[in-house]
Amino acid sequence: MAVDTTKNAVPFEMAQIPGPEMAKTYNTKVIGSIIKKAKRPLLVVGAELFEDPVMFDKAIEIGKTGVPIAATAHTIKGFIERGYTDNVTMIGLHPLTNYLRFKDWEGLDGEGHYDEVIFMGIFYKFASAMFSALKNFNRDIKRVSIDRYYHVNANMTFGNLAFDQDAYHEAVDEVIAILKK
Amino acid sequence: MEKSSFAVEDMQNVQINIGEIVKEVEEWDQPMGPFPTPSIATLREWDFKLLNRYKVFYAPICDRCTLCTYGPCDLTGDKRGACGLDQAAQQGRIVLLAVLMGCTAHCAHGRHLYHWTLDKFGDLPFEMGDEILVDAPLTRTVTGMKPKTLKEFGPVLSYIEEEVAQLLACTHVGQEGSYMDFESKALHAGMLDSLGKEVSDMIQIVAYDMPRGDADAPLVECGMGTLDKDKAILITYGHNLAGSAEAMFYTEDNNLWGQVDIGGVCCTAIDNTRIGEGLGYPKEISEKYKDVGTKGKVAGAMGWWRKMVRAGVMDCVMVDEQCVYTDALQECSARKVPLIATNEKIMLGLPDRTNDPVDEIVDDLVNFRIPGVAIIDPIKAGEVGVRTAIGVKPNRADVRDNIFITEDEFKKYAESCTYCHSCQFVCPPHIKIGDVVQAAAEGNLEPLSSTYEICVGCRRCEQVCPQDIPILSLYAYANQEYIANHKFKMRAGRGPVKDTEIRRVGAPLVLGTIPGVIAIIGCANYPNGTKECYDIAREFVDRGYIVTTTGCMAMDMSLYTDEEGKTIWEQFPGGFDGRNICNIGSCVSNAHIHGAAIKVATIFAGRNERANYDDIADYVLSKVGACGVAWGAMSQKAASIATGFNRLGVPAVVEPHGVMYRRAFLGRTDKKEDWEVIDARDGSRVYCEPAPEHLLYVAESVEECLLMMAKLCFRPSDNNTGRMIKLTHYCDICMKYFGCMPPDWPLYVRHASELPLKWKEDMMKELEEKYGWEIDWKRKAIVVPEPGSDKPGPIRKMDVSFDPTNIERKIRVKK
Repeated sequence: MAVDTTKNAVPFEMAQIPGPEMAKTYNTKVIGSIIKKAKRPLLVVGAELFEDPVMFDKAIEIGKTGVPIAATAHTIKGFIERGYTDNVTMIGLHPLTNYLRFKDWEGLDGEGHYDEVIFMGIFYKFASAMFSALKNFNRDIKRVSIDRYYHVNANMTFGNLAFDQDAYHEAVDEVIAILKK
Repeated sequence: MEKSSFAVEDMQNVQINIGEIVKEVEEWDQPMGPFPTPSIATLREWDFKLLNRYKVFYAPICDRCTLCTYGPCDLTGDKRGACGLDQAAQQGRIVLLAVLMGCTAHCAHGRHLYHWTLDKFGDLPFEMGDEILVDAPLTRTVTGMKPKTLKEFGPVLSYIEEEVAQLLACTHVGQEGSYMDFESKALHAGMLDSLGKEVSDMIQIVAYDMPRGDADAPLVECGMGTLDKDKAILITYGHNLAGSAEAMFYTEDNNLWGQVDIGGVCCTAIDNTRIGEGLGYPKEISEKYKDVGTKGKVAGAMGWWRKMVRAGVMDCVMVDEQCVYTDALQECSARKVPLIATNEKIMLGLPDRTNDPVDEIVDDLVNFRIPGVAIIDPIKAGEVGVRTAIGVKPNRADVRDNIFITEDEFKKYAESCTYCHSCQFVCPPHIKIGDVVQAAAEGNLEPLSSTYEICVGCRRCEQVCPQDIPILSLYAYANQEYIANHKFKMRAGRGPVKDTEIRRVGAPLVLGTIPGVIAIIGCANYPNGTKECYDIAREFVDRGYIVTTTGCMAMDMSLYTDEEGKTIWEQFPGGFDGRNICNIGSCVSNAHIHGAAIKVATIFAGRNERANYDDIADYVLSKVGACGVAWGAMSQKAASIATGFNRLGVPAVVEPHGVMYRRAFLGRTDKKEDWEVIDARDGSRVYCEPAPEHLLYVAESVEECLLMMAKLCFRPSDNNTGRMIKLTHYCDICMKYFGCMPPDWPLYVRHASELPLKWKEDMMKELEEKYGWEIDWKRKAIVVPEPGSDKPGPIRKMDVSFDPTNIERKIRVKK
């Protein structure tokens, strides 16, 4: 039975209520399909992967489906240790988001801008602020979170799964399964 | 104006007003520069140069504006408020407000000290000793003034206050509408903040005979465990030492050190421990209170306040100003700790007893007839503080001896946890509090110990707990041994950098052979406890950088020792030099880090600093490899400090919670045109490597912070050896923490001699094979393409006499 990722739509830090436009929660099927349909998606992963290392393997599985990965903070180390760096680029989350907000940026590979970013494993407050930057200053990019938090500044997000690691892993696996279809 | 006379004859209905007398005849060999006491728009051109290269990046925390009655207005995306303001400008407005808050905190601190020290000591000569002749670098650079006495800092404060009023007016509805101009104004406020800090610290250094650039300033006791529980303990908390110093003087005068310990919290702690350690003047201090500062103790940084409350390390508290938890009165009165408010900025609703007799006030406090008082007279407040601490100690023995919850209470609370995770939902550093409390219920206290330093003491968890578990009290219970052994040494704040030190390090800094100045500033609250500030300091001091620190960072990095039990202050000397670590002083002493950068320009490079801010900032940006880090900053003062550094051309890195400041300045390496500079020799335009790449940057992890700081020390002026040293550290840090070379290292290579020896061969191969650079293997040289060629290669050729500038008037001979 699929994990219900639509419940617990409460900002992870409860006072994180930005304004009238708040993210909606979606089930894994919808989120998986949205990622799959994207023409130029970018998976952005952060240093929280080190706290739950199996998430590196899941990121690699997503990478193998053709979604390029931006490895923020020092997460490139986790990919190197697992022998997977094919479509992984090391870049800080702050400069990455700065590039993303400019419409004339050519992307990490020089092949053009992205139409969708997917955040995973990033410190909540930082990720939320970077979603906010895109929400306000480049609305052409769809903002998707497959992190364990309800991300209020995303377009599409899971509800909070921060306290149920098994359910969270399962939810990400369901997304991966859809990408592999 | 020289003394002269003039006649007034045959004039009717003429009014002659004589304003301030300007002393034109003075001993200063520098002519007045172009921008004395710049107003809001004077340095706008410089600001726009910075802002065009370092793009203003906003991450709104709130999408709305609720500041006027049109509102609330939704500004999300491309919407504008009813007043016409868009989201970017609204963010700039909020940033300006935050920077002004920080700026006014420092400036008002200086104004208070100005009046107080003039009242107490009279006017004093502004003397910094034989080794500091460029004695107030920011004051000289910003205002063109050169104060000779403390009183002559008055016009400097007045200048700041006028500018602050003008800037604050700009945030009113219907004023500024451009985010670029809001940011220029914020940079102006940041510069004023640095100036206000300098005035504050200079006044207290001179009045209280604090160290004037002493690399060997004494080691003082630091940590909760240093407070002697056999004595009464008076805690002085805040940033303004006026009242606290009087408490120390009263204790000294009355020989009470055997009965009372005085421990400081936050920057008052730093400043307490600097008193009487200077060059011996003024005599009032040196004769009666020499080295009295060493008798004070550093209880801890502000992030430890609530932990100290729960650990019961205080009998009486004096608060002054800035960074004081505003529920201090409630926290104290719940534990029968009398509180004395000593400054008009924080009065907490307490009765003003300034004009009452000391005996009556003390009697009321020690018998708990009132929980606290306000005494806006530092001398009286100091006496009341000491006498109350001593008098109340036996009266509050019931609380003092039972400050920790009992084992039974601990068990009861821990077992009452329902694992609802409400606490974890609101914990800023994401401690898994539910798991920690569950483990405690099962008798495992280790998680409470290992997360004690990570907890920032915000008390948000306690407020949301449906079971009313006093989580901080569980922490205190589990860490009693830790608290008792919390005993370390900190070097007292040394004050400004000496001119002689600048002469020694000026050339190596500009050429890059000392790889940079690392300024570790602000609070150390996040994201992974105070340990990371020690790790940052240790990493760079080991690598030969000049490491400077101030305020809570200096206190927090004192809490860790090496294998031999030595703190960082005992491991390394305290000079302004490579492989040294300086505790410059308190928050306001940050100005001396700006001052050191200015002094490199003026002492080493011979530039006139007088009223010449943009020229000096341009020099610093292009030639002085310095980078600040605020790893855990909390307050608006951190916003103003960082913004002040940025206007002077010094980049800064902050930790992930720093996104709450909403704004960053980030460069784009894909825009070659952004990095064009002028060669001052002939005015030619040169595309440069992005150095420094950013001005204000949020790092997600300490590893990223270390790497970014090494990168932000690159400067166009580095010579081959200097660039090789910097590139070696940059690559080595990346290999150490990331497991690979940084992907952008080729950007910083101009010549083969700049490649780190360790990887030189491999790097040359990579340049050839991956990047298509032409390598002359016979000479082991990089072939630099002719200008205008499309061939891949270095951004520019290394030229030892290249003189980078961003200011047209610095061109010596036009091409």
